[in-house]
Amino acid sequence: MTSATKVPADPRPRIVAEGGAQLLAGGRCRRCGHALVRVFPRCPRCRGEIEPASFGPEGEIWSFTVIHIPPGPGADAPYALAYVDLDDGPRVLVRTDPEAPLQVGARARLGALSDAGDPTAEVIR
Amino acid sequence: MSACIWGVGSSQFGRQPELLPAELAWQAVTEALADAGVEEVDAAFVGTVFGAPGVAQRALGGLGITDVPIVTVENACASGTTAYHEGLEAIAAGRYERVLALGIETMTTLFDGPITPEPSDPEQALGLVMPALYALSATRYMDLHDADPSDLAQVAVKNSANGALNPRAQRQRGLSEEEILASRPIADPLTLFQCAGLSDAAAAVVLGPEQRGAGDIPVRASVLRSGSPWDQASEHVWGYDIIRDAAAELYEQVGIGPEDIDVLEVHDAFTIGELVTVEALGLAPEGGAVARLRAGDFAIDGDQAVNPSGGLLARGHPLGATGLAQLAEVTWQLRREAGERQVDGARTALVETMGGGASGLDGNGCVITVLGA
Repeated sequence: MTSATKVPADPRPRIVAEGGAQLLAGGRCRRCGHALVRVFPRCPRCRGEIEPASFGPEGEIWSFTVIHIPPGPGADAPYALAYVDLDDGPRVLVRTDPEAPLQVGARARLGALSDAGDPTAEVIR
Repeated sequence: MSACIWGVGSSQFGRQPELLPAELAWQAVTEALADAGVEEVDAAFVGTVFGAPGVAQRALGGLGITDVPIVTVENACASGTTAYHEGLEAIAAGRYERVLALGIETMTTLFDGPITPEPSDPEQALGLVMPALYALSATRYMDLHDADPSDLAQVAVKNSANGALNPRAQRQRGLSEEEILASRPIADPLTLFQCAGLSDAAAAVVLGPEQRGAGDIPVRASVLRSGSPWDQASEHVWGYDIIRDAAAELYEQVGIGPEDIDVLEVHDAFTIGELVTVEALGLAPEGGAVARLRAGDFAIDGDQAVNPSGGLLARGHPLGATGLAQLAEVTWQLRREAGERQVDGARTALVETMGGGASGLDGNGCVITVLGA
């Protein structure tokens, strides 16, 4: 291989299957209890130490949007994004089905990763 | 603070990929130096986000501005006002007397669509382009405050009408609510005409340590903040808290309140941005911006004119140049040089710029400054 193209580190939230549910592998501050989407070196709110914690699968939709333009060359549109406030957990950005109606405050559940490896969620019917 | 704006200048704003970044800067700096009546500066602070390494030296060298300290700063959409803020701080510290603050950005050769995500950021790796970030705020705002897309569009109605009076603006045509809502959907509920255009431009301000005459505009105070954590514990939409906190610090320093401001240039990169910003600045209670907007309070002939230049929506948003263009507009307003856009009786002006995109933060940076009497 002579290509200079490198696969960059993947910064996306880590979703793990646990007991039939999809959970966010995040972190929690040992000092203030704040829930985080990942294990940072220090808590952004109090600088306490962080321990691994998993969250979900359910939460509440904070907001959402359907985007009609591709986010970059070769990408698809439309696509939908929502922030979900996981129960007792962090606010996490997920992909949702652009055809499915969403509502602020609706209950939602984390789903399996998309084909592209993105975290997903859907409204609980 | 005793520093003043001595002179301002800018290039045309718009799609002008045929011009080099340096050529845009030459127009802005030449005008600003002539306006200030100076031929030299002691230092230059240059704001740019996507500018190539050395863009500042390359631009200033062609004007014979060499040898002096030149510092390039990046602070997202607040890069230009950060350059200005750091110039003021340097003057206050006695490091320099005459400081050039310059913003340069050429975007139309870099992007075809929305500003491309920074792939190391989790939200942006998922496709949270800038219009989507603001769209999330808009969806939330409409739900909380019973607003609708027509309310959002009113911001663009006002700012496009103002931009039609601004010969340097990218969009110089007044738009109807119907046209705005029927324009291409970008990120629901935001449509194309609710998004500031990709633009190429430069703008510049010359700062000096004292007021030499009536044309020099006193800087009352300037505040720079970066964002606090923004997450599930945040009460407000993205960007509200950083603006509110910077404004509180500013009003405290100047000893005035939001009601004392006559004219404002604020960060309306998207329509929702102006509504959230004027509320965070204290011009209206939360959810109350729509009522004041619809009452005409923020029009050029209203109580407190907001974005008489047409704002970013009409002028265009070449990131690093934007803040300096805002400062140029209020300088013209306070000097009574704004022509058809002139706000009658403008004595006290406020400029607010905020930018962001970094994951988990309520903005990368926000600069707010008060100028005039």
